[in-house]
Amino acid sequence: MLRYLVKRVLQSVVTLIVISIVTFLLFFVAPASPARIMCGKNCDANTIASVEHRLGIDQPITTQYVNYMKGIFVGRTYGEGDFARRCPAPCLGYSFRSDEPVTDTLKRTVPVTISIVAGAAVVWLLIGISLGMVSALRRGTLFDKVAMGSALTFASMQVYFLGLIFLLIFVYSTKIMNFPRWVPPTENPAAWFKSMILPWITLGLLNSAIYARLSRAQMLETLSEDYVRTARAKGLPKRRVYLKHALRAALTPMVTIAGLDIGAALGGTVITETVFNLQGLGRTAVDSAVIWNMPVVMATVLLAAFFIVVMNVLVDMLYAVIDPRVRLS
Amino acid sequence: MKGEMHVRKTLATASVGAIALAMVATGCGSSNTGGGGNKDTGKTLESAISMDPKDSLGPAKRPDGAVKGGNLTTLLVDDFEHLDPARSYVNIQQVAMGLVYRTLTVFKEGKDSSGAVKSTLVGDLAETPGVDVNKDCKTWKFTLKKGIKYEDGTEVKAADVAYGIGRSFAPDLAEGPHYIQQWLAGDANYNATYKGPYNGGAEVPPNLQVNGDYELVFNFNAPHCDMPYAASMPMTAPVPKAKDTKTDYDKRPFSSGPYKIKEYKKDVSLVLDRNPNWDPKSDAVHTADPDTFTFSIGNEADAIANRLIADSGPDQQAITWTNVVSELVPKTQDPAVQQRVISGPTQFVWRFDINTQRVKDLNVRKALAVAADKQAMLKPIGGSTAGTPTTTQLSPTVAGYKKYDVFGVPDTGDPAKAKELLGGKTVSLVLAHANSSRRTNQAVAAKAFFEKAGFKITLAPIDAASYYTEIGKKNNKYDIYLAGWGSDWPSGSTVLPVLFGGDQIVPEGNYNTSYSNFPEINDEIARISKLPAAEATTQWAALDEKITRDFVPSIPLYNDRNYTLVGSKVGGYYLSLAFGVASLNTIFVKP
Repeated sequence: MLRYLVKRVLQSVVTLIVISIVTFLLFFVAPASPARIMCGKNCDANTIASVEHRLGIDQPITTQYVNYMKGIFVGRTYGEGDFARRCPAPCLGYSFRSDEPVTDTLKRTVPVTISIVAGAAVVWLLIGISLGMVSALRRGTLFDKVAMGSALTFASMQVYFLGLIFLLIFVYSTKIMNFPRWVPPTENPAAWFKSMILPWITLGLLNSAIYARLSRAQMLETLSEDYVRTARAKGLPKRRVYLKHALRAALTPMVTIAGLDIGAALGGTVITETVFNLQGLGRTAVDSAVIWNMPVVMATVLLAAFFIVVMNVLVDMLYAVIDPRVRLS
Repeated sequence: MKGEMHVRKTLATASVGAIALAMVATGCGSSNTGGGGNKDTGKTLESAISMDPKDSLGPAKRPDGAVKGGNLTTLLVDDFEHLDPARSYVNIQQVAMGLVYRTLTVFKEGKDSSGAVKSTLVGDLAETPGVDVNKDCKTWKFTLKKGIKYEDGTEVKAADVAYGIGRSFAPDLAEGPHYIQQWLAGDANYNATYKGPYNGGAEVPPNLQVNGDYELVFNFNAPHCDMPYAASMPMTAPVPKAKDTKTDYDKRPFSSGPYKIKEYKKDVSLVLDRNPNWDPKSDAVHTADPDTFTFSIGNEADAIANRLIADSGPDQQAITWTNVVSELVPKTQDPAVQQRVISGPTQFVWRFDINTQRVKDLNVRKALAVAADKQAMLKPIGGSTAGTPTTTQLSPTVAGYKKYDVFGVPDTGDPAKAKELLGGKTVSLVLAHANSSRRTNQAVAAKAFFEKAGFKITLAPIDAASYYTEIGKKNNKYDIYLAGWGSDWPSGSTVLPVLFGGDQIVPEGNYNTSYSNFPEINDEIARISKLPAAEATTQWAALDEKITRDFVPSIPLYNDRNYTLVGSKVGGYYLSLAFGVASLNTIFVKP
């Protein structure tokens, strides 16, 4: 188990290093000078040279990369004299557009995205798996048909459509709810919950549709397995067979998909964040890419990759917990 | 003035007129409102500088029905680029931070009894908008009002204003306007020697004298008669040395105005509450009725419009500086919504610059001007609510503005007349444009109408972030491109010399992107720059017409238009002539 874990972590580190090199190279293929963009429009050649020096982009590319990686572990100082900017470890670069370490930007935006994804994941897993399971158990009934029909309808929708419909109904027309506004859960949990309801339901419903169909299919397949039939024949209660034996086995592939989905969503739910005006990681990444704010782009790409890699390792470990037949080695 | 994509250039030589004058523009008016409907008035724009110290004193006149208390929310798309007065150059930053820090002079605006907009430059920190000591515009004296206090109760001193100006020389705080720095340094490269009060630099910049606690004297080596206007720029805000947190000052500037920063969450919100030490008697412009101002950041433009149209809950006490997106304009035609629209021209004018280094034939330039379909250029950005077709380089908000139309063709252009001017030739041109969807759609429209008139147009998309950098290169390979400009203060001196002065051309970073370098224009700019402002205003307007008629380096297309919404429980708002957006100076919220 330990050996397997170490191996996976090392593989993950290599993946992240490769991604960091590729994203770092973006700096140099960008069509516009980062210094000119960061320094604004009111800039002469002297000021641009000064910004280049502060950014450290007047040095050879290898030195810059080494400094960048070093900054992640020991921090970095940009500029000098009265205007030296300290970027503490883990320093993922310094955004001269917003004049702050990129980690400060991430500290603001990551909790927004995590809030959206965590709540939405609960919605989609609960609704999706329950619906799928019940539909499988009541195969061919009206419930099954309605549930799967609804799932197909939601699966064919888009966040920007469903989100706007919900806004139209609950905010603009009936005025039951105010427009979502980000409030940290640590500051006001009730306001946070209220502001997250629409994003959760929107993202959750859309994803739950796919999970409902998948879990139904998995459940049906498992229910037809010999060991399920044997368990029933041996007189085990229906409830126990379905929940303990069949569901557990059906869940294994769902965990893989959920892990990847959650990892990808943590990298940024751009459309959901945009529809509900929430400044999360995805929206920040897109906004930064548009204005070539490369330190932020790099950090968001790295962080998104980190989420995927971590979720992959977690999924592998969960396999062993859910399915005793799986052994990590 | 910067606003959205508009850029401005530091101007080393702008100087017009004398003080103690009244500038009365002859052009059309602007619209604004004071809590009710908001229609273009068609009245004459008035703009003046008042030397009467009484006009610089408060309390400011409260609008009818004003109510004290409450919170006014402003819905923003993006966060402010900068709050630091040394780094602030964008109109909305200046309007918002006008609540937090005061400057030497300020525009006192409002509607008169006839509904016309009136804008008068008065003293803010200073007793008057400055004294031209030797009547040569080279030595300017500002005497501070006594008893103006910061948020901690200490008094604003002349040394703090000097320190604030000094720090704006620092290369790390270079994003703001550079007028006064260049005038003090006597050099466009203003911080070649003095780089602000950091790393051992002096606290007071060269050629600025601090006499006692309340007097500042600016000594320029050339006349700069626009100094009263330049003194309204944010870098004249006082910064006590002990409160200077350098780059962190951008997150929390120290208050000398009616409000102070209570909380600033980058990309989320900025909340202002009262500065208990602000004295309304010293302030001629702010009524400071709301208890708090909240700037809500990160809203999409369509969501803002939808929310203000729906007008529910806290949005009833909200405003925005973002134009209603074109798709939602029909919803604003509802009378209940229409009375909450603020509509009127801004100081920003968009034009096609013709690269005169490459397109040397005057008839070809005239043909381009005649062929331009201004309505087609407006359509992709929202049509008539986003802008108004124009035939002048100056905006109607500039003093001395004169409406002229040298070509006399419809707004949709006259392709037949353009073909006639081309004499049967097919002229091939490269049209550069920013690669954003709006600008691309405009470029596609332009290609169609120019080709209809006999041109062969090749489109050259440029990354939006580096668009102005690319067209600002003297040796760029493009023939024609879209560019926008807004005056920094209501005078042609901040427009025509920057856009058409041949002496402004440098290898890179140009704003004279038509590369206009005609001796006749250059001489006129030099001549008018030395005139008293009262004479200069009409002279700038005459030069505007001459440039377009005789040289055609650029085709005026449209004047940006403000078309924004406010909630139903907001009053005391009006469209600021100086900034082109709703002012917060006399705004209030109803319970």
